[in-house]
Amino acid sequence: MRFSLNFVKELLPLDVSAQELASRLTMAGMEVEFLARAGKDWVFDVEVTTNRYDWLSVVGITREIAACLHKKANIKYPKVVKRPILKERKVIIEDLKDCPLYIGRQIEDLKVKNSPAWLRERVFHCGIATINNVVDITNYCMLKWGNPLHAFDADKLEGNIYIRRAKKGEIFIGIDERERKLCRENLVIADDKKVIALAGVMGAKNSEVSENTKNVFLEAAIFSPLTVRRSRRAAGIDTESSYRFERKVHPDYLEYASVESSRLMQELGGGRFTGYAEAGKKPIIKSKKLTVDLKRFADYLGEEISSTQIKKILTNLDFEILKSQKDKISVLPSRFRFDFEDEVDVYEEIVRIYGYDRIAPCIPFLVPRDESSFSVSEPGFLYRFKNELRTFMASLGLREIITYSIEADQELANLGQKDFILLLNPLRAQENAMRTSLLLGMIKSIRNNLNRNQKDLRFFEIANIYSHQKESFIEKPVLAIGLSGQANTLFCLKGLVEEIFKYLNIEGMDLRPEPQAHLSNALGIYINSEKAGLLGKLDEKTKKDFDLKQDLLFAQLQVGVLKEKRKEIAYRSYSLYPAVSRDISIALRRDKKFAKIRAAVERKAGEFLVDMRIVDEYRGKDISSDYHAFTLRVFYQSKDRTLTSSEVDALHTGIREDLHTQEGIILR
Amino acid sequence: MEHEVKRLEEDLQKDIEKASDASDIEALRIKYLGRKSPLAELFSQIPSLSTEEKKIWGKNLNILKQKITTLIDEKLSGFEGKEEEIDLTFPSRPVERGSRHVISVVLQKICDIFAHLGFVVIEGPEIEDEWHNFTALNFPSDHPSRDAFDTFYLDLKEGKKGKQLLRCHTSPSQIRVMQKNKPPFAVISPGRVYRPDEVDATHSFMFHQVEGFAVGQDSNFAHLKGVLFYFARQFFSPDVSLRFRPHFFPFTEPSAEVDISCIICGQGKNKKKTTRCSVCKGKGWLEVLGCGMIHPNVLEACGIDSKKYQGFAFGMGIERMAMLKYGVSDIRLFCENDVKFLEQFNL
Ligand SMILES: [Zn+2]
Repeated sequence: MRFSLNFVKELLPLDVSAQELASRLTMAGMEVEFLARAGKDWVFDVEVTTNRYDWLSVVGITREIAACLHKKANIKYPKVVKRPILKERKVIIEDLKDCPLYIGRQIEDLKVKNSPAWLRERVFHCGIATINNVVDITNYCMLKWGNPLHAFDADKLEGNIYIRRAKKGEIFIGIDERERKLCRENLVIADDKKVIALAGVMGAKNSEVSENTKNVFLEAAIFSPLTVRRSRRAAGIDTESSYRFERKVHPDYLEYASVESSRLMQELGGGRFTGYAEAGKKPIIKSKKLTVDLKRFADYLGEEISSTQIKKILTNLDFEILKSQKDKISVLPSRFRFDFEDEVDVYEEIVRIYGYDRIAPCIPFLVPRDESSFSVSEPGFLYRFKNELRTFMASLGLREIITYSIEADQELANLGQKDFILLLNPLRAQENAMRTSLLLGMIKSIRNNLNRNQKDLRFFEIANIYSHQKESFIEKPVLAIGLSGQANTLFCLKGLVEEIFKYLNIEGMDLRPEPQAHLSNALGIYINSEKAGLLGKLDEKTKKDFDLKQDLLFAQLQVGVLKEKRKEIAYRSYSLYPAVSRDISIALRRDKKFAKIRAAVERKAGEFLVDMRIVDEYRGKDISSDYHAFTLRVFYQSKDRTLTSSEVDALHTGIREDLHTQEGIILR
Repeated sequence: MEHEVKRLEEDLQKDIEKASDASDIEALRIKYLGRKSPLAELFSQIPSLSTEEKKIWGKNLNILKQKITTLIDEKLSGFEGKEEEIDLTFPSRPVERGSRHVISVVLQKICDIFAHLGFVVIEGPEIEDEWHNFTALNFPSDHPSRDAFDTFYLDLKEGKKGKQLLRCHTSPSQIRVMQKNKPPFAVISPGRVYRPDEVDATHSFMFHQVEGFAVGQDSNFAHLKGVLFYFARQFFSPDVSLRFRPHFFPFTEPSAEVDISCIICGQGKNKKKTTRCSVCKGKGWLEVLGCGMIHPNVLEACGIDSKKYQGFAFGMGIERMAMLKYGVSDIRLFCENDVKFLEQFNL
């Protein structure tokens, strides 16, 4: 809301600088976002919180300013005259829920011309363009009292005035000259023949006041905030008028604004007030009596404010003090305020004028509570575990990324995701579904970086995935790993996954070949027989679809399962005797698995086996392409003595002999 | 024997002259003083000598051993002052390391600060219902936030608690904890939130928030201020100033918005405005969070007796905190995951 200091001064004498005033208002809750000099005037732009409709009026702002300066504003209210009754037309309201009250005043034989300088300045300094005296007067009264007014050219109205819902497809051309097709969501003002306004939003071109206008029909009304909100959204317009109706208008202010506009039109336009029309019923605003318990108030704040100070603050804010006792004060809030329901509402009113900054901060001693003393729904306590995993993943050299939970349904479907939850009201089509895997976000992040010439990428993300499940839904956190670049092979990925299991001390990890949509060489990751995740390489087709310049390796693990299976570390004694290694050069036919070799080594080396590694891979003319040639290094160690050379040789020979008998294995 | 000693001395002399660095010397030490050295061989001959000879050669060989040791040590000490000189103006070998995302880092920093005061971290679900997201938080049934323009609704079956939606703030976590637990408690609850906002430099349809709240018999406004002062000084800097401006939220009363003195120009704190600052737009203050005393209606909705208990709550946007703390100017950078961006932050 924009207002000017001179406007306020019409209502309240002031002897404080604009800067000082701005700072006081800000600290009382009316944040001054902008302050600028305008000739001999000052313009304030303030943020109006949704509970304070009254700050959309200079009268309400003046009352606030007075209270901030420890004074009470003395506002003069005009006398409301409702005679004579307008004979030539009636006002008919279709539904009182949309419009509880509508009043009209007819002013005849006026002259439309420029407004006097003072009026032009008032309106202009409040950010509204000056048009002519009639429009400027309605705007001036709107600014002063808060509720919008609309002036129709009375000679362009045909018959009665109706406040009704628009018919589907009805056409409305506003004063902005744009044509809009209306629907049942729109509330309109109409005469016998046509729509003359989109109620509470904008007047129609067909009945606009022009320089030739002689007679004016002046509308003031209460429109339902919800109706106006839906109507203007349906029509796609947002106006000063709709903004105000959505935050409610006060029936008393509405009458004052109508009366004062009518008086000004007579004074400044030379017209006569010829008739009053009314439909609906003026709502009775009753303030609710509230009692401030002084002890509770002090407990609430952690600070005591004296009873005298409290009464002064409330009186300045137009409260009526009904009864003041030693331990409590009963009050009746201002009849111009809608925002008092509870005792705590009065607390805020007192303390914001007293000054939030005057309450001394105090660090509380919070009773320490163990997590386990809380009863919380399923994933509530994964926070620390997730952070631990994040730090561990970073320690493995991976970079954490954050990607969007919402993606396009088509893209998710293309990646074989199903049962995803859809947004009923997406903002854009490319974000309309909740992902069921972190794969898409990973692909996009890798692609962004590849396109910027980053080549060696190692990413991870921990975030939730979501999906429909029967009548309900699942939301659970997963850890995704994405690798790309020459140095990153599937064995790196497998190694990372194994490292996570080792770190968490989870036993019984089992990798099983398991087809996955859009991954080749995919493995299901199991803990004993429970599924914990998957890994694989993005297949060539998908890689092409996403225009990826390099392979992408992807793994995803269920954080909840990892947490559940994690075991406390228990120290295991280790051998202090030297480990001895022996190499075997092997050619393995490609239709056989290394698992066979592993089994033979484990079988033969038994308790003396500590590790095995591939130390060399060989490609050459002497090796058939049907075979995979490599050197396997086996490490032997005993727990309680140094193994002799001949003991190791015996074990190693055992392995060689075992392998030698197997089909598809050639020892080189 | 005499002859052998002489040869040994000559050999040693030659070898020592040839030695060019410390490792050569160590090799000589083994060669001349080790278990298989000629000297050891000579010592081994001693038992077979006569008593007289034993005495003489025992002494001589010990003198020889001393002499060899001295020669070797002297030569070595000559090398010790003279290390190999390496040209360190050559570029370093790059070090590959991982990193955590700045949002997760900031989120953890914030939670850690409150955890020091005794807050417990509890997360809530992102898919919520109308009751937890609005009704229990004292939003009237016709509140604009409930409109499809301000909240994402989901194609999930509507239950007793209303339509299913993506939470637009972390406050429903507060409701979930309060419903199931008896005060006193102090909880901090971080996570993703969603709003149908057009994406620009400061808005996104997905961002992160942290919600904190404490309920007890005497949790009051002064405590709220104390906790937030502590937080701001830990998070931003020990000399940051705070101001509490009255504001309106449906779920707190009294409510406040909290500003910190601008961390760039510091104008709010010094009270003199000299420069135009692009970060605070010359105001001297930066809004960082919203807070207040929990509205009694909210406590009652969760089955907590508002006559007996009172509490405070606060909430803040993580992206905004990260942007202020590290001077990031565009919120979209957080989800682009460019390595050049990611590598700049670490816990
Ligand atoms: Zn600044």
